[in-house]
Amino acid sequence: MASSTSIHVAVIGAGIVGASAAHFLAAAGARVTLLDASGPAGGATGASDGAVSVASKRPGPMMDLARHARAFYARCEREGLFRGLFHRRSTFLVARTAVEADLVAQHGADLARAGERVFEVDRATLLERVPGLGASVCAALEIPDDGHALGYEITERLLRGTSVDIRRSAPASEIVTQAGRVAGVAVRDDLLAADAVLVAAGIGSAPLLGLGDILIPRKGQMVVTDRAGSAGPAIDGHLMAASYLAAKRGIVRDNGHIGLVIDPLMTGQFLIGGSREDHRSDHTTDASTIAAILREALDLYPPLAQRRVLRSFAGVRTASRDGLPIVGPHPRHDGLVVATGFEGDGICLGPLMGASAARLLLGQNPDVDLSALAPERFLRAEVHA
Amino acid sequence: MAEVPILVVGGGPAGASAAATLVEAGLRVLLIEQRDRLGGAIHRQTASGAESPVWRPARHRRNWAALTARLGAAAERIDIRTQTVFLGVDGEGRFLFEDRRSERVLARRPRAAIIAVGAIETIRPFPGWELPGVMTVGGAQVLLKETGRPPAGPVLIAGSGPLLPALAAQLARAGNPPVAVLERGRPWRAPGALARLILSGGPTGEAASYAAVLAAHRVPYRCGASALRAEPDGDGLKVACRIGTSEQSLHVRHLLIHDGIVPNRTGIPLPAPEAAVPVLQAGDGREALGADAAILDGRRAALQVLARLGHASTAGAASLERPLQRARDFQAALAEALHSARVAPSPETLICRCEGRSYADLAALAEDASAREIRLMGRFGLGACQGRLCGPMIEALRAQPLPATSSPRWPLRPVSVAALARLTADETE
Repeated sequence: MASSTSIHVAVIGAGIVGASAAHFLAAAGARVTLLDASGPAGGATGASDGAVSVASKRPGPMMDLARHARAFYARCEREGLFRGLFHRRSTFLVARTAVEADLVAQHGADLARAGERVFEVDRATLLERVPGLGASVCAALEIPDDGHALGYEITERLLRGTSVDIRRSAPASEIVTQAGRVAGVAVRDDLLAADAVLVAAGIGSAPLLGLGDILIPRKGQMVVTDRAGSAGPAIDGHLMAASYLAAKRGIVRDNGHIGLVIDPLMTGQFLIGGSREDHRSDHTTDASTIAAILREALDLYPPLAQRRVLRSFAGVRTASRDGLPIVGPHPRHDGLVVATGFEGDGICLGPLMGASAARLLLGQNPDVDLSALAPERFLRAEVHA
Repeated sequence: MAEVPILVVGGGPAGASAAATLVEAGLRVLLIEQRDRLGGAIHRQTASGAESPVWRPARHRRNWAALTARLGAAAERIDIRTQTVFLGVDGEGRFLFEDRRSERVLARRPRAAIIAVGAIETIRPFPGWELPGVMTVGGAQVLLKETGRPPAGPVLIAGSGPLLPALAAQLARAGNPPVAVLERGRPWRAPGALARLILSGGPTGEAASYAAVLAAHRVPYRCGASALRAEPDGDGLKVACRIGTSEQSLHVRHLLIHDGIVPNRTGIPLPAPEAAVPVLQAGDGREALGADAAILDGRRAALQVLARLGHASTAGAASLERPLQRARDFQAALAEALHSARVAPSPETLICRCEGRSYADLAALAEDASAREIRLMGRFGLGACQGRLCGPMIEALRAQPLPATSSPRWPLRPVSVAALARLTADETE
């Protein structure tokens, strides 16, 4: 491989993953061109809640990786890169039925096994922490070491002041390879020659990699409310309903299921989501889904009745067929690295995964074990000639 | 009755004219108006429903009386909902409203829709425009029409356009003539445009009557003059003004600003005359041509809907084109006569009042930043006004529309969580 001071890397996708890779590549001395069909944070990164949360992760490699990813946020915050953008805050996993309470308890045990601090919170204590909480809430766990960051702010910070050449409205149409090695990227009618290429284009990765059957768009509708107060989060933690856990653990799979989260933003506003609509890649929102989300949210946290909805919007998550991201070197093309399929976990995992992809592109080993995410699961030599 | 009505959003001249044309053709109409009475900005009545004491030309009074009579003659076919705010169209084609009386959100699927939501005022921002005591000329006119009382204390009017002398004259007649009117433009530098204005057959009589009132009350009307900065000063404002080549400071209680109007397109559904549910725009919301043209334009939109639904031919529509073109020529000549070069505001100038974002914040964004970046990274157009105020400013300063203003979205206005949550699927009451 060429020395890192002369290597030119094309990164496809200026979401949080691509921006992180571009940042760390540039910091290592690589020349980086960052391509995006629209612009930075133009996809799911700019249309998601700000949960840097281990509490929500499926047990197994995702939970372990999320712990590393959250620690990476904390380190970047300490060292200055994410200063002022990453905030510690608790996640409350709340149950409203006995069945949900069992699910929350089981998830808490899984989190504790993974090394996470988990506190049981009785209703009285919870009401002190979150005054006004709904009468139906019967059990809750607090995960005190979670955090909060907005994907688009992190993306902007990662790119600010770097030498990365950002190309907006530059959709990649093809990865160009030569004798088993990546040679560049076709952008419209031009060829951008590159020594290495990262595909981190969310659902846009599917046509580039021939993963149309593997990557599934999953639309999520959300709302943002007006401010509850003048400054700071309106409640002391991120409220995550058991219905969200049920979706993340694969217990419910019906299309249109609402996995409720109430995210108190630093501005004093609430971000409330969201639906899970498979095979929907449009960005429209509909009144019946939004109303259903709000009914759930009011049941969990009735003081929201005092708020007004400022915006509804939809993001499109990119889910892989087995529910795990796809991160690692392409099995057939040297110099081609893949990082996509983060579903709803891209904000949490993105910075670490981008940094790991940067190391792979520079011919180094990543700091975390990515074997469970290897592209070989889906990309074999005979699949795509 | 089973017949699905045609939706008309906005009860100003364009919406009323469209509704009257449709009901006269025998169709049912659902007419939505956000205020508690029809009339729009031009025919706004007092809060108690009485005729506003604010003077307006007899022509406007006659036009509105005629429209009201036509609506009244077909009252059984028209469902008028006041205090009902249009929230937009959702991704599944529902037209959404909030009934502010019952605090309910309603969803409807009309046969066709005519959107006549009028124009919005623009301003050219300067340091201090966001201070208490500063408001738009149009906003002050609404207050004057609804309360019948002018604002107390010294008033300065600054900006550009015919609304400046109109409001100045109305304030003078109501007992509080402004200390001055500062018009940014220098019409004498565009003699050709001035000549076209005079020859256009436009409302020159109206302009002359305003000029006479201002002269009688000795209100100076200065061209090539503008407000540069405003600062709090006791219980009023200290306003630095440029008048000609000199700069002077005026102490006033109220500063009223205005730099023309543009169609209100923030999140409004795009015209789709050929869609299964045809959507048309009408009036100042389509093209800001003023109240007289709005009546014609509302009729034109209604005739288009009728033709599309197989109820009538568009024969009558052709005769509307010439007067609309005259209004267009008049507005073009006016814009040319009052044209003034746009100067970038100073860095500390506030652009987004909702989120407290300055021109420096806007200028810090990449030159080719996408509209999404302007919103997310810049936090422009994210506040309670949904970009209605800062959107046109940013469009003018960056020559690029914000997505909130360029594509349909909902809710167009902040809506109660509780009211929206009560909406059950496809509620039809």
